[in-house]
Amino acid sequence: MGYLFDPSNWEWLTSGNNLRFLLEGFLVNVEIAAIAIVFSLACGLVLALARLSKLRPLGVAAGVWVDVWRNLPLIFIILYLALALPEPWKDAYESVVPSFFPEALQSGRVFAGILGLVLYNSAVIAEIMRAGILSLDRGQGEAAASLGLSYPQQLRYVILPQGLRRMVPATVSQLITLNKDTTLVSIIAIEEVMRHGRTLSSGFTAFVGGVPAPLLQVFVFIGLLFVITNLALSRLSRRLEIRERERTAGTAGPVSGLEDQVALATEAR
Amino acid sequence: MAELWEVLSEHLPEFSSGLWVTIRLVAFSFVIAMVVGTLVAALRVAPLGPLNWIGGVFVETFRNTPLLVLLFVSFAGLRRAGVPIDPWVAGTASLGLYTAAYVAEALRSGVFAVGRGQIEASLSLGLDYPRTLRYVVLPQAFRTVIPHLGSLTIAMIKNSAIIGVSLLALPDLLHQARLVNSRTFATNESFFWAAAGYLLLTGLATLAVRRLEARYAIRR
Repeated sequence: MGYLFDPSNWEWLTSGNNLRFLLEGFLVNVEIAAIAIVFSLACGLVLALARLSKLRPLGVAAGVWVDVWRNLPLIFIILYLALALPEPWKDAYESVVPSFFPEALQSGRVFAGILGLVLYNSAVIAEIMRAGILSLDRGQGEAAASLGLSYPQQLRYVILPQGLRRMVPATVSQLITLNKDTTLVSIIAIEEVMRHGRTLSSGFTAFVGGVPAPLLQVFVFIGLLFVITNLALSRLSRRLEIRERERTAGTAGPVSGLEDQVALATEAR
Repeated sequence: MAELWEVLSEHLPEFSSGLWVTIRLVAFSFVIAMVVGTLVAALRVAPLGPLNWIGGVFVETFRNTPLLVLLFVSFAGLRRAGVPIDPWVAGTASLGLYTAAYVAEALRSGVFAVGRGQIEASLSLGLDYPRTLRYVVLPQAFRTVIPHLGSLTIAMIKNSAIIGVSLLALPDLLHQARLVNSRTFATNESFFWAAAGYLLLTGLATLAVRRLEARYAIRR
């Protein structure tokens, strides 16, 4: 404890541009998370609808797809993609990535990381969304159909607004997990906060005459960055949840927000 | 196709030892997660403000920190600081405490599902607070959250792969697959067998949870 809080072990934080270096790395994580979140939500919705589709083969195929990707370790998926992704795909990514993106996001390697995050998280989110849609009373869809709405219209105006709203807390907690999981792309040599932390604590700063940055303190600080961001996210989600419950007059049950809420929601159906 | 089986038969010792390391990692972490998670859940529902606060800080810290950061702090960080921590201890403690935060939250929601009336009834029967938890609340809370704990266990199997990547002293399934890959250059084949191993573990866990659920779970 004495070692952890010894002020001389924290001097690195204010010396030179160490703090800025770490925050720049953290920004890369936030950007990767943002990109992955957008695509995971979109693909998750498509997968959930495919799985609920009345077309039997499509439903089965989507089910197998979702069950395989969400039961594999994310780190496994990322490592595999980094090794096995065809070069043309990476080149294609490099040619479409906007030039205003930071340098760390320009390389084709980052595509493997983002693709892995999207494959895994879209599968998990598809299950959450499916559970949300299934938790709706059958009558809702039937009533909409008998009013003459087509299937896409039923989805658009009746089923999705209610079903997805119920699953906001579970989705947000999965997005928090996604945010933490962006650190995994450091394994495939993408310069984000973990890599920057390792560079800082490698002894290099002391070598060039600066203050040594102890590894323990550097990574405790990085952990703190994530705790602050994720707490802010979960506060936001809780506020949304309370607002929703007020608006929908308490029909939505409280959801504590854990990965794979799905199991609970689908089993309790 | 022939190569697929060739990679497995030639490197079966690597794959099976990796699978065994993964199983042991998950088993030890599971024990830590359940024990610590239950204690923290007890703190969080205790009728004392400061205890709630300590439990809350634990949960928010471990739930919101990436597992990779926990592993860096608990192994490389402590080693650099002069604490000769064992890689097994660092790995299972990181994964265990990380999951314990989720377990505590799940149990807390289970405790709230038990209902105030039962707690009050038990207290008025003369049981003190720890006994009320032990004999009345927790047995029901555990059974309510079986599906939840099951999905946490499955998440733990998946997260154990992160340990193998960051602590090189623990050659788990993913680690062994990477070794086989670097020796044979058969990327698809070696990763296929690792995937099969992970899907086997998560599949078995899913079945086990379903069994437990059918037998013990309380529907609310």
